[in-house]
Amino acid sequence: MNAKPEKFIIDGLRLDGRRPDELRPLKISAGVLKRADGSCYLELGANKVMAAVYGPRQVHPRHMQDATKAIVRYRYNMASFSVGDRKRPGPDRRSIEISKVCRDAFQPVVIKERHPRLAIDVFVEVLQAGAGTRTAGINAASVALADAGIAMKSLVASCAVGKVDDTLVLDLMKEEDNYGQADMPIAVIPTTGEITLLQMDGHLTRDEFGTGFKMAMEGCQKIHEAQKEALAKCYQMKDDGGEQVGE
Amino acid sequence: MGDEIGSKVEEGSFVTPGGFIGTSEEFLTGTGTYEEKGKVYASTTGILNINTKERIVSVKPTVKTPPIPKVGDIVVGRVLDIKGSMVFVDVGRIKGSEDREIAASEQGVIHVSNVKEAYVSELSDEFGYMDIIKAKVIDAKAMRLSTSAKDLGVIKAICSRCKVGMKRKNDRLECPNCGRIEMRKISEDYGMGII
Repeated sequence: MNAKPEKFIIDGLRLDGRRPDELRPLKISAGVLKRADGSCYLELGANKVMAAVYGPRQVHPRHMQDATKAIVRYRYNMASFSVGDRKRPGPDRRSIEISKVCRDAFQPVVIKERHPRLAIDVFVEVLQAGAGTRTAGINAASVALADAGIAMKSLVASCAVGKVDDTLVLDLMKEEDNYGQADMPIAVIPTTGEITLLQMDGHLTRDEFGTGFKMAMEGCQKIHEAQKEALAKCYQMKDDGGEQVGE
Repeated sequence: MGDEIGSKVEEGSFVTPGGFIGTSEEFLTGTGTYEEKGKVYASTTGILNINTKERIVSVKPTVKTPPIPKVGDIVVGRVLDIKGSMVFVDVGRIKGSEDREIAASEQGVIHVSNVKEAYVSELSDEFGYMDIIKAKVIDAKAMRLSTSAKDLGVIKAICSRCKVGMKRKNDRLECPNCGRIEMRKISEDYGMGII
């Protein structure tokens, strides 16, 4: 593992040459998996995540079903090869918690009343992790849900803000996440500005929280644009009679 | 916040979930849209369609939407049980969206009166356990099905004695293994693999 860098910000630029309010390079493609009802592949810096959506479909076990609305199930999983040291496969405390908070991030946007007694399954596989996998997962899952044609009030965009060398930085990378002073991932409904996920690790002052939140919000808006673009691109490709990616 | 100001939406434009379309004073909500706090938004990814006469906006999806059975849809399923005057069917797929699970209850039912045009005296002469059938939806909510058409009915059946696929012989089915003859409401597509 890499050791703690002496300085995180040199001449106003971060270790990877980004400005403090800049996102890592983002690449989104929708409809990449043939057998899933909706899918999305997303790269955000070093992160590589794949999201697949199945359903609405029958709920098993049956006692989990809700007679008035659909249930949303979300599974965040890290591949054993996604991190430097091998990750022991299977759900652990961390991934169970992330699955839970990400599921809750989608509860207010999915129009669940359309599909009573059914389940909408979202699977997020982290193929390569490099800080901010939960936000990358939410962004991918959001596009995958839209690709599955599931009725939603809005897409969900997510992005993290943190603090290194007493400076607020957007979209933390690995070193900043590991050795920084704070990390705050948020997920929002970009059209209304409603918050669906907010977590914080470390310490921020009240002012820092305010400015940091604004930075993250702007980051989410940029991600939202990229999500919309990915969906539009997927449609244009089908329109041109072109093959779907990865088929 | 958001893209309400400046962005103009018009007929034929591409929208994504949450995309602002207009206000509830301007439009009524059609398919693929919803209204919240006096504003109309898209709920599906697709192309915007504005019915200027009725002032209804709808979104024509560009993605595949969950298959929800409608009256008139052709479905394929398996006979689970025959009880009294009912045949219980496990509905698998809707014709036209074979690659996707149906987004509704999988339990379908055929009443003896909807099996065929002619009089049915014994349901076990029309269906057998584990038969694959093709049927038409006549009630989407209760998933009531009908097989009273030439192309509807059993499309694959197994011999009740030796569980091998039956061959069609005129209006009956014959087991290629034991020679047993069974009666069914046979679809004209029996054994062809056509849905």
